[in-house]
Amino acid sequence: MFTTPSKLRKAGIVGMNWRNVRMIAQYNPRRLYPQVDDKLKTKLLLAKANLSAPELLGVVKTQGNVRELEEFLADCGPFVIKPANGSGGKGILVIAGRDGGKFVKPSGSGIDIAEVRKHASSIISGLYSLGGRSDVAMIEEMVQFSDAFDGFSFQGVPDIRIIVYKGYPVMAMTRLSTRASDGKANLHQGAVGLGIDIGTGRALKAVQNGRPLTHHPDTGKELATFDVPQWNDFVLQASMCYEITTMGYLGVDLVLDKEKGPQILELNARPGLAIQIANDMGLLPRFEVVDAQDGIERTAAERTVFARQQFVA
Amino acid sequence: MSTKQLQLKVIVLVLLVLGIGSVWYKNQVLGFSLTPEKQETVWTVESKITFDGDNAPAEVVLSMPENRKDMVVMDVRNIAPGYRFNFVNRDGERYGVWKSNGPVQGRQELFLRGTVYRRNGNSGNNVSPVPQEIVVDNESLRKAAVDFVASLDRSGSIRQRAVHLLQALTNPVNQDAVYLLKEAKVFGGKIKLARYLMRKAGLQASSVRGLFLGERSRKQKLKGYIEVADGDKVLLLNPRSAEVEDADKFLVWQYNDKPVLEVIGGSNSSVTFSTLSSKILASRAAVAAGKHSGNFLVDFSIYSLPVSEQNAFKLLLLIPIGALVIVILRNLVGISTSGTFMPILIALVFLHTTLLIGLALFLVVVSVGLILRSYLSHLNLLLVPRISAVLVFVIFIYVAIAVISHKIGLSAGLQITFFPMIIISWTIERMSVLWEEEGPKDVLVQGGGSLLSASLIYLVMQNRYVGHIAYSFPEILLVLLAIIIIIGSYSGYRLTELYRFEPMIKDK
Ligand SMILES: Nc1ncnc2c1ncn2[C@@H]1O[C@H](COP(=O)(O)OP(=O)(O)O)[C@@H](O)[C@H]1O
Ligand SMILES: [Mg+2]
Repeated sequence: MFTTPSKLRKAGIVGMNWRNVRMIAQYNPRRLYPQVDDKLKTKLLLAKANLSAPELLGVVKTQGNVRELEEFLADCGPFVIKPANGSGGKGILVIAGRDGGKFVKPSGSGIDIAEVRKHASSIISGLYSLGGRSDVAMIEEMVQFSDAFDGFSFQGVPDIRIIVYKGYPVMAMTRLSTRASDGKANLHQGAVGLGIDIGTGRALKAVQNGRPLTHHPDTGKELATFDVPQWNDFVLQASMCYEITTMGYLGVDLVLDKEKGPQILELNARPGLAIQIANDMGLLPRFEVVDAQDGIERTAAERTVFARQQFVA
Repeated sequence: MSTKQLQLKVIVLVLLVLGIGSVWYKNQVLGFSLTPEKQETVWTVESKITFDGDNAPAEVVLSMPENRKDMVVMDVRNIAPGYRFNFVNRDGERYGVWKSNGPVQGRQELFLRGTVYRRNGNSGNNVSPVPQEIVVDNESLRKAAVDFVASLDRSGSIRQRAVHLLQALTNPVNQDAVYLLKEAKVFGGKIKLARYLMRKAGLQASSVRGLFLGERSRKQKLKGYIEVADGDKVLLLNPRSAEVEDADKFLVWQYNDKPVLEVIGGSNSSVTFSTLSSKILASRAAVAAGKHSGNFLVDFSIYSLPVSEQNAFKLLLLIPIGALVIVILRNLVGISTSGTFMPILIALVFLHTTLLIGLALFLVVVSVGLILRSYLSHLNLLLVPRISAVLVFVIFIYVAIAVISHKIGLSAGLQITFFPMIIISWTIERMSVLWEEEGPKDVLVQGGGSLLSASLIYLVMQNRYVGHIAYSFPEILLVLLAIIIIIGSYSGYRLTELYRFEPMIKDK
């Protein structure tokens, strides 16, 4: 039931205290946090560096802006309204299309402009932000999800999390929602964690509630067939985030757009440790490989090549 | 990186040295006890001065007992209406002076009450200083004194020699002794004569006037005794019985040759003393004693505050200990709680309600609150109105619990008011958001973690030893700070991680 610290150390597993003291405190200075905690700032940063992310269509900052919404959205394609300071998928309204005056959600149900306005208004008054602080609502293009991952998730589309250490992509995973996780992609609620090989973009191991499994419990899909298309783009985009944020320990979340390829959805300054469980592998040995590169100047592309050679199963 | 770590180590070291050092100093030197039981005997000494007024403004001067290394006088209070009282220093000695507000007539009574405490383990080792020795002009008296001393047996311990001298002095067949005693006035009295002879015999002696601090004694007069230095001890000799008395119970009131009491504008004056012994906590005594010596470490103890403020500060000093428990539980054990410091506040409530009642009340309030709060979810209220609505619910629940428990005769329910409503409201709010977002399992885990933490903190806080150390040695906070810093920079595994990552270990 319990193991010993020395065994964990031998397996190279990073614990919470190590993450906080040796990683975050050291490589992610506090003053840099806003650029990843605030999705609007991240978005502008990504756009400036020409990284691919869903395009920002507009920002609703005031109740005055809310009144202008109808006019603004009149000739908009599919879009998403989300709080700049939200987390955990809270307050995200996806509008996949129009049906006359109605805004149609991916589920097929339609809402009218009043409800869209109310949603934006709730966002800016802080309904979804931490501590209820007032926020801004971002309107961005909806991602046209690729069907490459169909059947791997009980609900929704999985996103890919890549841990970037000092600019090197060191580990990757995806979280697949299940009926048990109530459609949520949260590992400790029973979602499936699937490790992805940095070298190939293919599935490594899958775990649910700490136990290995081979098939998705609800869809029956064989998890070993998970294979991320345009994988090099994923790792390259992720490692480029190092230059724009200068954060040494970063989690990058990406999704795959049918036409535009990998899109960065959000950055995380405190990425969790469950990725080790999904990969059935500790992060420490990989950090050490990267630490050994200290002093060698490499571009993001070179780092990607290096990482894909090194971190292959 | 390494300079940062060095800095950290230096800070931790400095904090530890300062903290532990001052605890040690207060314990060893100032006599603060490390354990709560230790009690010290203190004596309340009341001096009663009486005199007849001469229909003129009166001034009364009473010499004050001196603080000595072993005996400490604290809290002197004057009870004498119609008089102004203050302390004055004359030639380095302290006097209490009363001045009447106008002419006084008839029997006057003045009281002065003081508390005397023997500092723990520090038996006095200094003979009182001696004023200028008397010069005796009378040739034959000087000769008799020399002969008397010469006739004494010079062997034996100091104690034996001193006792022997006093016995010889009261021996009616010793011619020199009889002659000297007859002329004792020349020396300033029998006691000073004895002191004079002791010095001539090469003993380090001084005369003192003072009281024995009995358990309960009334109307004592100051009596003269002789102190003789014996190595690092002081012998207290009773010149009347030629016996050694227990110096530990003796309060030296005066060691100069001046009068104890002077009354100007009055006659028939006298002063008597009553003593009463009682036990008080050692730390209390040490504080009062230290206050006199103006030690800043003592001033830094909450006992130097007015009693009414002390209780509030006692609680205040316990909070960092709660914080330490939280830090340990979070960073070393890995228990998650709802709201970082909420368990401390709940633990403070448990201090009022006791653990089981507190837990029961908390569970009732929060679960009923969660049920009521679930109706709010549909309304999509913003944070502030939402939390305000929860607050109203909480007050309803408080009232309901109080009324119902009163009706069924369970007075424990009335203690519900100890729970801070705002904290409870926030707890309910956070729990209910957690329920919606993560599900009931997380609510149970976090709620359980919070209650476990609160209970542990309560157990630590209500511990007598912990409380005593926190009150008496606030500088222990420095040690606490050092420990928190050490834990804050600890990068090893948490206890729960040994469980969480266990499936990843292959060679079981
Ligand atoms: N532009 C978008 N188009 C389509 N789906 C999106 C878009 N933005 C977010 N989502 C969906 O919402 C989820 C959460 O979005 P994200 O930006 O990661 O916010 P959060 O910080 O709340 O997790 C994503 O995993 C994705 O499924
Ligand atoms: Mg996300």
